[in-house]
Order: sequence, then C-alpha cells, then structure tokens
Amino acid sequence: MKTRKRVAVAAGIVALALVAGACSSSSDSADGSASSSADLTGTIAVSGSSTVEPISSLVAETFSADNPNVNISVDGPGTGDGFVLFCEGKTDVSDASRPIADDEIANCKKAGINYVELKIGLDGITVMTNPANTAVTCLNFGDLYSLFGPESNGIDTWDGADSLATKVGGNGGFPAAPLNITAPGAESGTYDAFIELSGFEDIALGQGVSEAKSVTLRTDYQSSANDNIIIQGMEGSDSSLGFVGFAFADQNADQIKEIEVDGGSGCVAPSKETIADASYPLSRSLYIYVNTDKVATNPALAAFVSYYVSDAGITAVTDSDYVAIPPDQLATTQAAWATASGSAAS
Amino acid sequence: MAMGIDTAATRAQVEQRLRGSSRDVAGKLFRATLLLSLLLTLGLLVLLLGDVLRRGLPILSERGVSFFSNGSSTLPARAGISQALAGSIALVVIVAVVALPIGIAAAIYIEEYARDTRFTRFITANIRNLAGVPSIVYGILGLVIFVDFLRKLLTGLNTTGGLISGGLTLAVLVLPIVIITASEALRSVPSGIREAAYGVGATRWEVIRSHVLPYAAPGILTGVVLTLARAFGETAPLLLVGAVQGFFSTGSGSTGSKLLGTYTALPVLIYDWSGRIQKEFKDLAAAAIIVMMVVLLIVNGLAIYLRNRYERKW
Amino acid sequence: MAVTQADLQGDAKRRRKEGLVRGLFFAAALVSVLISALIVVSLVGKAIVFLTKIAPNWSVLWTGGWFPRQGQFSIPTIFVGSFIIGGIAMLVAVPLGLGSAIYLSEYAGPRSRRRLKPIVEILAGVPSIVIAYFAITIISPDFIKKIVGTANYNIFNLAAAGIGVGILTIPLVATIAEDALHAVPAALREASYGLGARRKTTSLRIVFPAAISGITAAIIIGLARAIGETMVVAVAAGGTGGSQFTTDIWGPGQTATGAMAALATGTDSVVGTGATFESLFFVGLLLFALTFTLNVFSERFVRRVRQVY
Repeated sequence: MKTRKRVAVAAGIVALALVAGACSSSSDSADGSASSSADLTGTIAVSGSSTVEPISSLVAETFSADNPNVNISVDGPGTGDGFVLFCEGKTDVSDASRPIADDEIANCKKAGINYVELKIGLDGITVMTNPANTAVTCLNFGDLYSLFGPESNGIDTWDGADSLATKVGGNGGFPAAPLNITAPGAESGTYDAFIELSGFEDIALGQGVSEAKSVTLRTDYQSSANDNIIIQGMEGSDSSLGFVGFAFADQNADQIKEIEVDGGSGCVAPSKETIADASYPLSRSLYIYVNTDKVATNPALAAFVSYYVSDAGITAVTDSDYVAIPPDQLATTQAAWATASGSAAS
Repeated sequence: MAMGIDTAATRAQVEQRLRGSSRDVAGKLFRATLLLSLLLTLGLLVLLLGDVLRRGLPILSERGVSFFSNGSSTLPARAGISQALAGSIALVVIVAVVALPIGIAAAIYIEEYARDTRFTRFITANIRNLAGVPSIVYGILGLVIFVDFLRKLLTGLNTTGGLISGGLTLAVLVLPIVIITASEALRSVPSGIREAAYGVGATRWEVIRSHVLPYAAPGILTGVVLTLARAFGETAPLLLVGAVQGFFSTGSGSTGSKLLGTYTALPVLIYDWSGRIQKEFKDLAAAAIIVMMVVLLIVNGLAIYLRNRYERKW
Repeated sequence: MAVTQADLQGDAKRRRKEGLVRGLFFAAALVSVLISALIVVSLVGKAIVFLTKIAPNWSVLWTGGWFPRQGQFSIPTIFVGSFIIGGIAMLVAVPLGLGSAIYLSEYAGPRSRRRLKPIVEILAGVPSIVIAYFAITIISPDFIKKIVGTANYNIFNLAAAGIGVGILTIPLVATIAEDALHAVPAALREASYGLGARRKTTSLRIVFPAAISGITAAIIIGLARAIGETMVVAVAAGGTGGSQFTTDIWGPGQTATGAMAALATGTDSVVGTGATFESLFFVGLLLFALTFTLNVFSERFVRRVRQVY
C-alpha cells in the first residue's frame, strides 16, 4: 500500500512538473514584428472561413510570438458557421470568403452586434480535376451549372450532363467517364461564392428552378468543410471534379489539375496575376469582420487587428500564397479600421 | 489361455494409433493456419509501426527538441506538439484524480460489501454495459453535462469546455474499466486472507485496508496504468467536448483560466495533422504517433513489469 | 465473565466509521448508475428537441441521403454505412481473432505463449487514431488501390475504413474468445485425448463447441465495438459532411459515428435548417440503443457459459 501511494505521489509530481514546464514554454520567435508588449493580456477568438484561416493563423502566430500573454484561437468551420458564432457574440473576429449576407446582417443587428468589414486579400476559386483527366481543359458557366447546379442531382457521368449543358449555354462535349464530385458544403463561403460568381442563380431561375433552390448546388455529392479533404478527393478517380480556394489548389498543384474557366471572354486559367487583375472569372475578396464593441473593451483585440491590417501584418496574405489587395484597397481597409477603432475607443 | 490374442501386435497397434500417423496433413495445416492468423496480426502491427517510423523518425531527428517545445503552427517547419502533449498529460492527471478513487471505491463496494441481491446484479450489469458504450456517446454526455452545464454556471466561458470538461468526460469513459479491472484484482485475493483478518476481530474496512488491498494492489495498479493509457489515446469524445484543432496560443494566465481555456490533446493533434494535405503534415503526424506510441509502450511495459514483480503466487 | 455480543461488536466509534466507509463506497458504486442515467438524459432530451424540430416531415428521416445542413437526415444512409463497416471489420477480426485465440489456447506451449500473447496485448493498446492514420496512409493507397485499380479509386473508401476497424477489433475478439476457450474444463480435453483424438479434432469438435457461447459473445461484442468506432471512419471513410445512400464499399460513405464526428468538428452553432446540430443527439441515441442491445444480447450467451460449468 505504501509503495503504491509513493508511486502515485511521485507520478503526480512528475506529471504536474511536465505540465508546468510545457505550459510555460514559448514558441520560437517568428519573423515580422508586431506591436509587442509583454504586458498585453486578453483573449481573442477568431473563427469562420477555412479559406481565410491560414492567413489569420499566421497573423495570430506572429502576433502571439511578440505578445505571449494573449490567448488567441483560430478556427475554420466555414464562413457561414463563423457568422452564426459572430452574431451570437461568441467570436471577436469572423473570417469570411464572401461578404456578409443579408440574413446574417439582420441576425447581428438583432443581437446588437456592431462590426466593421475589412477586406484583407484576394482569392479565386479553382475548379479542378484529377491530373489524369486530359479530356477537360476549359469550362464555361453553363458547363459548370450542368455539372454542379441544382438540377444535376443523379447525373453521375460527365457526358450525362451534356444535354443540360447545351441547354444553358454550355459547350458540353464531356467525356464518358464517371463524375465523382468532392466540394465544399453549404456551410462554406466558397460554396456561396462559387454559386454567385458563376451566376448560377440567374441560370437556375431561367430554367424554372425555385428561388430557394436557385442558390444551391446539387445535393448528391461528397461535401466537406475541410479543404484538405476536397483536394484529397481529387486524387481519387481519374475523372474527379471539385472546386476549392485558389491558394489551396495552388499549394497542391501537383495533386490536381486546374480547369480553365470561361466567363464570357475566353478561357482563363487561375493564377495570382489573373486574380489580381480580375480577369479570372471566379475571383473573390477575402474579409475579416471585427466586433467593434469588443474592440473598446479588449486592448489585445485592438492591437491584433491593428497589426493584421498594418503593412507589416498584411504580408501574411502573400506569405500564405493568397493574392494581396491592391494598395488603394489596402488604404481603404486601413482607414476603415482607423475609424472603427478610433470611434470605439472614444 | 484359450483366447489366442497376439498381445505384442495389439500393443504396437494401439501405440501407433495413439501416436497418430506422422503424415497428419490436415492437423499440421490447421495448426499452421492458426499460427498464420497470429503472425498476420503481428505482420499488420509491424507494417503499421514500420511506416510510422519511416515517416516520423526523420522529422524527429531533423527537428529535435523544437518538435517538443513548439506549439501548433500553420507552417509545418515550425509545428510542434508542446500544447498537445501538455494537454494530454493534464487530461490524464484529471482522469486519475477523478476516476481512480471513485472506480476503486466502487469495486471495493461490489466485491467486499455488496450482498448478492438483484440490485447488486443490476449494478454490475450496468457497469458492463457502460464499458461497451461507444466513446463518442461519452462525448455527448460531456458536451451536455459538463460543457453546457459549466457554461451556465460560469457565464463568459468561451466555446470550448476547457481541460476540466475534457478530463471529466474521459474520466467517466474509463470509470467502468477501472471498476472492472479493480474488481478482478480484488476477486483474486484468496478468501483465506480475509478470514484470517476477521478471525482476529477486524472490521470489514480494516480487513480491506490492511489485508485485501495490499494484496490486490499489483493487479489494481496494472489496471490503473492500462486505463490511463487508454485515456491518453482517446480522441472522439474530446472532439465533441471542445479540444481545438488549428492554431491557438495561450499566454500565461491563472491556472483557473488554463483549465477552462482552449486546449488540445495529442490524439486530436494527430487527427488534425493527418487530415492536412501537405505531405509534411502527414510526416509530422507520424512523428507525433511515434511519441504517443513510445509513451504507451513505456506505460504498458511498466504495467507488465509491475504485475510480474509484485505478483504473489498462492 | 460471559462474552456478549456487545463485546464482539467493538466500540461505537469503530462501528460508526465502518458505516461511514461503507456508505462512501456505496455512493461510489452508485456513481456508475448515475452515469447511465446521465447518458440517457443527455441523449433523450436533445433527441426529442430534434424530433420536434423536424416534425411533421418524418420522411426526411428515410428519404434522400444524409445532408444534415440541408435538412436531409436519412437514418438508413448512415446506419447502412455502419453495418457495412461492421461487416467488413468482422470479416477481418473473426478469422484473425479466433485463429489467434484457438492457437494460444490449444496449441501454444507456455514459452511460445509468453512470446506470442504480447502481440495481441500490444495491438490492444494501439489507439484508434493511429489505426486511422494507418488506414489512410497504407491500407487505402497500397492495398485498396491495387484491388480497385486507379480508374475508380477513391482515397476515401469504406473498405479501407472497415479493414482498419477490423484490425482494431482483433484483440477484443481474441481476448474474449480465449477466455471462453480457457474456461472449458481440462477434463473434456483429456477425455477426448484419452479416446485417441488428435489435437485438431479435440479443438474443433470438443473445445470449440463447448466454448461456443463465449465465442458468440466475443463476436457480438466485437461487432458492437466495430459499429461504435469513430476515428477510423472519420479519417478514412470520407465521411466529413453529406453523403448519399451508398452500398459501394470501394467508395466513400458515412456511418453513424462518422456523421456525429462531422457535426462535432464544426461548431455547435451550425448553418443549416434548425435541426442540424440536434441530429447529432438523435443519431447518438440510436447508436447507443443499438450497441446497448448488442451488448445485452451477448451477455445472455456469456451467462450460459457460467451456468453450464
């Protein structure tokens, strides 16, 4: 009995020592400077888009290296889910790969949440397939609608979508191969952005689809909020199909094949240049939404966002392989933040 | 004698029959098939560990200490397991503090105090059923009871339930296992020991404390160690209760805020990293698995060593 | 002087302490009952909320696929997936587990037993997340790909997940089966050998049937464990969101546990029809009921073993 007690006590001491040691260790210093202050304390919760998550994570990492006493967590369950949390007041910053929607604005207003919208980067949506799929190189909006749209439930081969494609102005001519789709689900901002940028709503309404369904995709595909899984899904069959944020696709270019998109002015391949000058039809902006009420009471939050939109912090966008917003838009963002934080602080 | 049995031939025949023909093909085949199943199992284990070592060892040798002292990061070159390891250790400590006393006490009641009534049988059947409940259901229990309840109790809690909720959830998960293994250990104590103690006038508790527990201790200890190892490796309930995937940093705060704030655990980290697309993260996951398996092997080895060292034969 | 009962009982203080200690231990045992009650409460409460939210469109529970964010909660979709995983897992675990158990129990001498038994014990200690990693990095790309060919191969498939779950279940089946075989009295074996039977005959025709109740229990418990396994499915079966009804084991699919994990790794405030997150509890309740039934069913077999001997 005594031995057992002694062993238990010793184990407990060792365990506590390890916990204490590990908890107090700090991460190694990162490049870039942040407004550093070892006395800055507080808690910051960032959530939302899984597309913006890498950027916010990088900013948070750099920021917390210089401000070790601030608790930050960054999560990426999806733009939609992020807004739900944001408008319940549970998060301080909401990452978004699309602008806030009307019903979300209403929710925030109802809950009394005041926020500021800050554009921080540019991204595109890459439509992709397996590298072995040589038959498909370019798709226009009509093609995309016939493959992804709300009327395509049950079409499980590429050529099965041919008839629908020609009806809505697509080129068709798809190969006779199984159609395995892995793509974001309804919680993802990429999902909404894809529908909006490809003009599905108008095509669907023109086809007589109900209004509610016109802003949705087909429902019978493997959906995931996790972009990694979507990329891995491309590795599957030789004729897989999906879409994901450009940066993710670009980083894993060796595992997928990008499909060019024709928005009416010819087939354009996604690249940093074509996104920056908006020639790529599926280009979109990335945002962060900041709870301005919390900015007043949480100096750590204020410092964090100030760092985020500063010239030093915004480099995280390009460091994460996304496209930087042009200088004039950056100035607008910085001005918007200055106003919001200034008025909040007063 | 008028029987005329040739005893010599009969004896040889019987011996031949008993020894069996040396060409017992079916029997040898059968034995080989059975052994094959064991060896296949071993083979799978070796394949798994081999792949993990192949991918993970280069990371460990390259990164060295920084793998252990760094926290989570979006860049594979910087990502480390410090937060996850600290979280796992903290969770195991909480599980030990909560589940062990209650579990061993419950086992003592069942084995030493309870009479064989329907109620007692109900309790033991209930415990056996609890041991078979899927771990994710315990996660639901943790979410509803510990996280939501704690949130109501302490307004202003962030969305995760903190190490407390995670630890309590895991404690509830392993409790049936603690009870079952402790019960077996107690049952194996010979009744002579108890009777001798009663014989000199000890009360039941005194008998347990001074005679039964010391002799059951090695078995209980082995069970305890194996249970904690199980808690160390659990993932699903933690996902429900709020262990974080993704980046987070916790500054130094009071222990209270540490226990209630964001946290993660080693298996959750492995889950996170395995899901990431960059090949480097898959290798990092393998390295983290090596760390986890080493800890588990040490712990299991310790359990077996303790069992062999302190086992007394009756 | 006569010895009275009062003398034998000892002083009141000791007795009080005794009663207190007994009460404490009883309370500890009651905790287990409390836990069962809490499980049921936490499941049923929110499951009812779910059902009230989807009423009166009960058909969402069996039509379409499992797309919780779009209000499709096809229970058959996810439970068929669970049963497929369970089936594949048993195909792996029963031969390997039973084979190991029979060998260890009937054939292995003490020395080889000491060397071989740890294999099963070590595998029992491997956490499910490690097997999940194994499934996605080795089983799927190296084995399933070769079987299916690259044209139709999907890295996430039910077959790889099922095999992974099977590997996880081997130790459980092996341990319970071995206990059952061990419990067969030596007298039965000796009688068989005495009649001149060989070891194979004795094992298969005498010992195995004698232990059949325990072995059946092992299989049922293994099946329950396989159906309740979460991490392997969450990582390797591609069940990370919506899924159509599928029975194709070479493609991705969703199980009850995978669906729960997918809902869990979001946040508890999820976009979708109001009942999305609550579906987690409803599925959990069904899963609990299923595994509970299986476990209770298996106990009837175990009890029969105890009775006979």
